[in-house]
Amino acid sequence: MSKEVFNQISPSEFFYRNRDLAGFSNPTRSLYTAVREFVENGLDACDQQGILPDIHLYIKAVDPEKPDPKPYVLTVKDNGPGMDSNQIPLAFGTVLYGSKFGLKQARGMFGLGATMAILYGQITTNKPVTVSSSVDGKVLHKYEMMLDIQKNKPVIMKHTKEDTNKKGLNVSITLDGDYSKAGSKIRDYVYQTSLITPYATITFDDPKGEKFQYKRIVDTMPPAPTIIRPHPHGVDVETIRRMIADTHYQVPVLDNAMIDKVKKELGLSKKNLNFEGIMARAEKKWSSLSRPVRVIVAVMSFLNMDFDKIMKIRLDDIDLVHKRLTYYDFGDSKLVTVDMPKSSSYYKQLANTVQGDSLVTFLTKRFQRIGQATAIKFSEFASLKAEKRIGSFTNEELVQLSDSLQKYEDFLTPDPSCLAPLGEEPLRKGMKQFFKPDFLEVYQRSASAYSGFPFVIEMGIAYGGSIPPGKMTVYRFANRIPLLYDEGSDVVLKVVNDTDWNRYKVKNESPVVIVSHICSTRIPYKTVGKENVADREEIEKEIRLALQYLSRKLAAYMSKRGLAEIEKKRANLYLKYLPLIAQFSTELAGKNKEPDYKKVIKDLNNVQVEE
Amino acid sequence: MSKSKNSKAAKVATEKRDALLDLLKNQGAQVYNDLDKGKFPQFSVPSRSVSNIVYDKKLRQYILGNTASLRSSRNMSQLRSFTQLMWLAFFANRLVHEKKSSTLRDVYYSSQAFEVEFEDQPESDNIIVDLEAVLTRPREDFHIFPEERSSIFGDLTIEYTVPGYEGRRMKLSDHPDGYLIGPSLSSAELVDTSAELVIAIEKGGLFTRFIEEKVDKKFKAIIVDTAGQAPRATRYLLKRLHEQMKLPVVILTDGDVYGEHIAMVIKSGSANAAHLRELTVPDAKWLGVWASDIDKFKLPTIPMTESDIKRIYDLQKDPRYQEGIWKTELEIFLKIKRKAELEAFSKYGLTNITDKYLPHKLELAKSL
Repeated sequence: MSKEVFNQISPSEFFYRNRDLAGFSNPTRSLYTAVREFVENGLDACDQQGILPDIHLYIKAVDPEKPDPKPYVLTVKDNGPGMDSNQIPLAFGTVLYGSKFGLKQARGMFGLGATMAILYGQITTNKPVTVSSSVDGKVLHKYEMMLDIQKNKPVIMKHTKEDTNKKGLNVSITLDGDYSKAGSKIRDYVYQTSLITPYATITFDDPKGEKFQYKRIVDTMPPAPTIIRPHPHGVDVETIRRMIADTHYQVPVLDNAMIDKVKKELGLSKKNLNFEGIMARAEKKWSSLSRPVRVIVAVMSFLNMDFDKIMKIRLDDIDLVHKRLTYYDFGDSKLVTVDMPKSSSYYKQLANTVQGDSLVTFLTKRFQRIGQATAIKFSEFASLKAEKRIGSFTNEELVQLSDSLQKYEDFLTPDPSCLAPLGEEPLRKGMKQFFKPDFLEVYQRSASAYSGFPFVIEMGIAYGGSIPPGKMTVYRFANRIPLLYDEGSDVVLKVVNDTDWNRYKVKNESPVVIVSHICSTRIPYKTVGKENVADREEIEKEIRLALQYLSRKLAAYMSKRGLAEIEKKRANLYLKYLPLIAQFSTELAGKNKEPDYKKVIKDLNNVQVEE
Repeated sequence: MSKSKNSKAAKVATEKRDALLDLLKNQGAQVYNDLDKGKFPQFSVPSRSVSNIVYDKKLRQYILGNTASLRSSRNMSQLRSFTQLMWLAFFANRLVHEKKSSTLRDVYYSSQAFEVEFEDQPESDNIIVDLEAVLTRPREDFHIFPEERSSIFGDLTIEYTVPGYEGRRMKLSDHPDGYLIGPSLSSAELVDTSAELVIAIEKGGLFTRFIEEKVDKKFKAIIVDTAGQAPRATRYLLKRLHEQMKLPVVILTDGDVYGEHIAMVIKSGSANAAHLRELTVPDAKWLGVWASDIDKFKLPTIPMTESDIKRIYDLQKDPRYQEGIWKTELEIFLKIKRKAELEAFSKYGLTNITDKYLPHKLELAKSL
């Protein structure tokens, strides 16, 4: 039995050291990023519960007289489902890390950004975060807390309860910001977010006392996305490794509930035995034990631990290939790795339990759109045994599996049900309300995929009306988030700029607005800042097709409009010139009365039009 | 006043005027009736494109062919020019009725009182030519004149027909600077002359010299300054001097290709005025300065420019330059590539041109 010791840093500390990556590099960017994180969390919370969002954003300077950058209080209030009181400290007071294999479209990922904002606020102003929540619309729980960065633990400074009549969450932080610089971006962000979220009411009270409110335009929400399994093209070795770990044995959590379960199944709920006694009892009752309990018993046997001892550790890894077991000892505060004795009868038992499903079962159960037949064909393609248990794969075999999953071409295309595009009607209504154009057309392409990730392109084009002439405006969205920075290198702009607008009768300086929305479980951003979408071939093609469709519609409208303009111009010309001709001919012909030329004007429809 | 009524010239002028007024009235009535019937009125305008300008050997001038284009008020792109043409007919009708005259520039400005816009004067000038073509009458007939003026001097008595001067007579040798050939002189009756010859000369300076040297008396000549390319009124006057007074017309120009063509236009018209007749003097003779004179009289010369030479090549394609001195002189010009002005004779003394050259040439002209 060998022991190895590792030093760990807490996730909070890790993020604290790398906060630039998350968009908290300076007071301007940080204020903008914090706004985004909280607004998007609010919208996501409402979306998931099918609640029409009502989001209120306040930014207030702590001391308005001070020059920027200076501390601001940022508050975001939503009407979402709220959060259970006992979850709040954990959700807002720790940096969580986790592994999620389910896929669905959401604005943010894992709520990391919000915690980063809280962390940033605390670092720059040393003020606590205030979180108020009501899940029932009756009781409001209010927490004031700070983060213990080294221990990654919340420090609750105050917890109060009061009566309320509204559900929802209200988060307020104090942070260093520069509104004079970030203001226009934040206002753009709120404006554009409202455009792509026409089913929400978004209100923004800015530090200068101005109020921006975008009221709900449509009362129906797009259907919520479903969580689905990953597509084989969309996973890498590391993901597969985690999926195997996640499925085939869940390293048991040694909490009170689990220990109680083991005790109960062994009939030891009221009675405590020593190690040998437990082992004997287990052997006797083995056939009736559930799989997780068998795993715990096996582990106890390897570690020579009774209930008291086993409760003081956390299992971190059971590595069958190398026959090692790793745990964290709370008593000694260190990681311990031990070899598992192969000779032990429990080892075989554990191995069988944790080696998990066969390859075919793994593929059909853990991936989307793979059936028995496809799984068997794939096994042949990958030169892997269909019946081999997934838990016993060597590293080389895992790499082989991962490579083959990428290369095999006969998988069905990804399932788009995990996507939540806005939909043509809400997009149309939103654009109509925002731009009041003379012409409007929207289009949603059917789902497509790149590298195993499904995506959908939605686009709209508007012309004339209250749109001012000038440079064509392109609003870019990804998963209902506006993309404001780095527009130069974005794939949407590339396609727009590649388009020969003359072909569509759109001249320079035309009043045109284009709205583009990409929905995907993974947007291929070019940079860490997540502001521009890379020009992946499949995505570029879909954008191009959508834009072509819209441009043709616009061209048809422009032709019609052109004809109408000629028609109008023509009518005006005749109204101007015919009376003159009548006047001159009357005098020339020596008549007293003008001819009845109005008959001719009535006949205008037969006039030739020549350019 | 009574004199003019009885005079033959006044009668001719009146007839001509009435005919024009009838023409204008008919055109107006046609448009009026079309409108009244609910039809879009239209004009047929003889085409003035190069392809429709042909040389008529019998008439000895350029004329328009048979191609005509329809200018219709139904066609939106023609509506504006149709209206402009109607306005001009209307304006010309007033001018003729009121016996008033107008310059080309006046026309351009007058249009603005009637909300008929012309972009610029070339546009209004062009419409005037259209009306000439429709009516087959020169613009002078409807009292529209260019600004350019040439002059006349000699023993010629005329009688005015313009309002306020009707019947008044004038002898064109009374003023030593000569008389401007304007609207009143153009429309005046030619009453009497003792002259036996008309000398048209290209340059004002020489015109003055000729008067000083009493060329009118010495050669019994009426002297006309064409001031470069002869204006229409001048060409019309030359034609009347030739036809009504039976006077031969001779022409003196600079010794270059442009001078040769000035003579040709007096003789047989220009392509620009192919839509008009009665502006030519087919029997007129070009006395010089010929290309062959340059060597013969040892005249000081100037080298030709590129455009001079190009012009020679152009004229060589013209049917009128295919024979006689017209052809040979062009060829000599092309050969020597030099030119001489009328003033070049001053090398031999200021009066050399009138004392020596002119008599010599007039003698020669008899055999032309």
